[in-house]
Amino acid sequence: MMSDSNLSNLSVEFMRPPEQVMRLDRMGSSHQTRLSFMRSLIRRMSRENWKFECLRRDIDSDGFGVSVYAVTTPLRTYSLIAFTQDIPPKKRTDRVIAEVWDATFNLFDGIPTQADIDYLANNTPKQEGGRYRPSELVLARANKSLRVFEHVISTLAKGNQPDIELLSSVGYLMRTTAVYGSGKFGCADRAKIADREECKGAFQIELLAVYLIRWFTIDLAEHLAKKRGGDKAVKFEPHIRQFIGVGNATGLGMAPFLLKHPVLIHNWVMAKESALAKVRSMETPIKGTLEKFTQSLIQVSQHLSEWSVEDEVQTTRIDCLKDEIRSLSQWCSDQINLMKPYPWNGIYQYVEDRFSLECQEMVVSLIIEPHGSLVDDLAETMSSVSTPKLVADMPLSELKEIVKDYYFWATTIDFTLTESQHHFWYYSEDKLEPRFGSRDVDEGSEQEMPLAIGRDAHELNQALLSASDEMLVGEFVLSFPQFRHIIRRIQNTLKRPYSEVQDNLLDETMRPLDLLRFKLAFFGASKFDPKSDLWTRISMYQGAPMPDQLSDPDHDKWFFPVIPKQVI
Amino acid sequence: MATEHLTISLNEVLFFFTRAGFGVNAPIGIAEDFARSNMWIAENGFDPSSCSIEALNNLDSQASDLAVDVERSDTQVHFVNPNNVYLSSLIASVSVIDCINIGSRNVELIVKNVDSPLLVIAAMGANQCSDWQAIWLDESNYEYLVNFIEPGVWEMVSSNTQPIELSKGGNMIIRPLVETKKHPANAVLRQFVTIEEKEKILQTGVKVGEHWQGIYDYFSRCLVKSTVESRASGAGAGMVDTD
Repeated sequence: MMSDSNLSNLSVEFMRPPEQVMRLDRMGSSHQTRLSFMRSLIRRMSRENWKFECLRRDIDSDGFGVSVYAVTTPLRTYSLIAFTQDIPPKKRTDRVIAEVWDATFNLFDGIPTQADIDYLANNTPKQEGGRYRPSELVLARANKSLRVFEHVISTLAKGNQPDIELLSSVGYLMRTTAVYGSGKFGCADRAKIADREECKGAFQIELLAVYLIRWFTIDLAEHLAKKRGGDKAVKFEPHIRQFIGVGNATGLGMAPFLLKHPVLIHNWVMAKESALAKVRSMETPIKGTLEKFTQSLIQVSQHLSEWSVEDEVQTTRIDCLKDEIRSLSQWCSDQINLMKPYPWNGIYQYVEDRFSLECQEMVVSLIIEPHGSLVDDLAETMSSVSTPKLVADMPLSELKEIVKDYYFWATTIDFTLTESQHHFWYYSEDKLEPRFGSRDVDEGSEQEMPLAIGRDAHELNQALLSASDEMLVGEFVLSFPQFRHIIRRIQNTLKRPYSEVQDNLLDETMRPLDLLRFKLAFFGASKFDPKSDLWTRISMYQGAPMPDQLSDPDHDKWFFPVIPKQVI
Repeated sequence: MATEHLTISLNEVLFFFTRAGFGVNAPIGIAEDFARSNMWIAENGFDPSSCSIEALNNLDSQASDLAVDVERSDTQVHFVNPNNVYLSSLIASVSVIDCINIGSRNVELIVKNVDSPLLVIAAMGANQCSDWQAIWLDESNYEYLVNFIEPGVWEMVSSNTQPIELSKGGNMIIRPLVETKKHPANAVLRQFVTIEEKEKILQTGVKVGEHWQGIYDYFSRCLVKSTVESRASGAGAGMVDTD
């Protein structure tokens, strides 16, 4: 099993192997943990006492115009620039091919001048059609939830609080439909900010932008309610404000990202699995942690009762999960079960032996949760700066061994079957929208994205059968340059075994949704709301402290959010 | 995005050049290395499209190809195209790097008639080569010398005014660096510390000129024509979304 310098030998024994973890069905059952990127960002905001300020709000009575919201960290300031506009209802789509949005944003590096705002006013509302500069760190857009947005403004304007059931059923006032960073469309490269303390973790700057967007949507709603209602208008009660997240619609773009960043993916999974192994390997629990865990089962039960989706598959899974959490609660209520040595491992094994993957992964989150002091430093290991390179002096005998040990899942697939190569991934000329095609139906398989990892490993394995063990990789790729990329991946997998999804991504049964959920869980999303196998809506930062609540002692207790008890 | 005289990010260099290489039928692994080389060119303040358009045009028009014969002796390794066309710098660059990484420290590498020598240099730079020297006389009889002094520090010496990115058709000699001081009296020496040059680029972006359109055209070959059906079913969400 792989090792990590921070892990004791005992912990390593409790690591789940890649062939268990990196399977699509388990990845598609992922939940946020306290290592998720939003969670670690909120902890940093609180710890470093970040300051938040609305610098500008030039909007009309309908809320259209430009606003600037700034956040100051110990060393620098970032500003969210928001442009809002009226758009025709029929043009409101969550797809990449959309052309207009209710709100468009940049996260600016510093405080923008009027010239910066003028430049962005001509570009940001066009999104992919505009061009951006290294001063822009993030580009994003959002659409309103029409029924919640209008309901909130009208009720606040009349002096009332919004319907909490309606708020809970949607979870947000606006949903983002894309959040671009890392050099997209001319924005700053990741390397510009990678050494900044607050940016070292994965996706921290993008998720800072999302946090500011959430604040902006809430502030905008309160401002418009005041405009409409005058003195009668009220603001949200603090606990309701905190319960409002920001939505997100995620589609196929995230799937190629996962496959193109194997080092990063390994680091994410390694951190999570290391955290789980550390907890499972404790012979005696830390005082108070078991009680926190059993209490969290009550909260999670409520969260599940509020997690309502239209998707039949996910509804069935949630119903099953409710039953399983109930059974686990009962099992935990028998003190004998928790008083044995290695109680956390006992809980994990009990669940793994009996319950669904959805439940197993939720319990992973729950048993990690009370152990911040033990695992939170692992969040620092979840980014990556390295790129795999071909190891030219590796003998083929060694490469063959790696293929045999790590790619058994690929070499045993029968790719002569039509269903094994049913799908292909491609970029459409239509705004470069990533799409998922069916080989026997759609045109364009010649331009297939190089994401057929299993098929490529399988073909390499065939070619290696007749190649001499003594030959070096550098010599082999002179004759077989088509295998250069897959050999590089395979060599990387030896060092980073959690980097590869161990399933056929072309198979007829493949659901891109599983990849999306895996990534979004690492971000810290909750209430996955699949709309098909190709996309999902989620809620982000629901329950997270607002800027004025970051110094509260409970600022980190927002996992698996529930309707605040004050309004039940 | 196809506009001339554009400023792009390093990540866009990686994205577009990978697919531009793929667009002229280079295997994806070679296209990825080609894009990494172009990032290095951009990090050092050059327009990556200037030299790469030549390499891509050559492959596309079959003025070059990806075939390479490797002939070894005790003191030299020769990289030669067997088909009497230019040796594509896309295959030359990865072949040279692999040879260096295999441990050919005591030999000279001779790269014959490579179409865009700067791409070979860029591959060496992107792979943090150190204590190596490359020298070539191109088909316009311009001479260039590049020394990789230490990881991330390199210098370029030439006594002509043609920019190095336009150098074409050279016979390159790549060998361990033994001497950095011997230059012709009229030679111009420029030294680069890549990390410092990159820091400037991160603040300004990468300026690309007239050849960018050609790179984008090759990139566009990787895009699939949108149809009514694929527009409707190829990706998630609907054409109108509400909640």
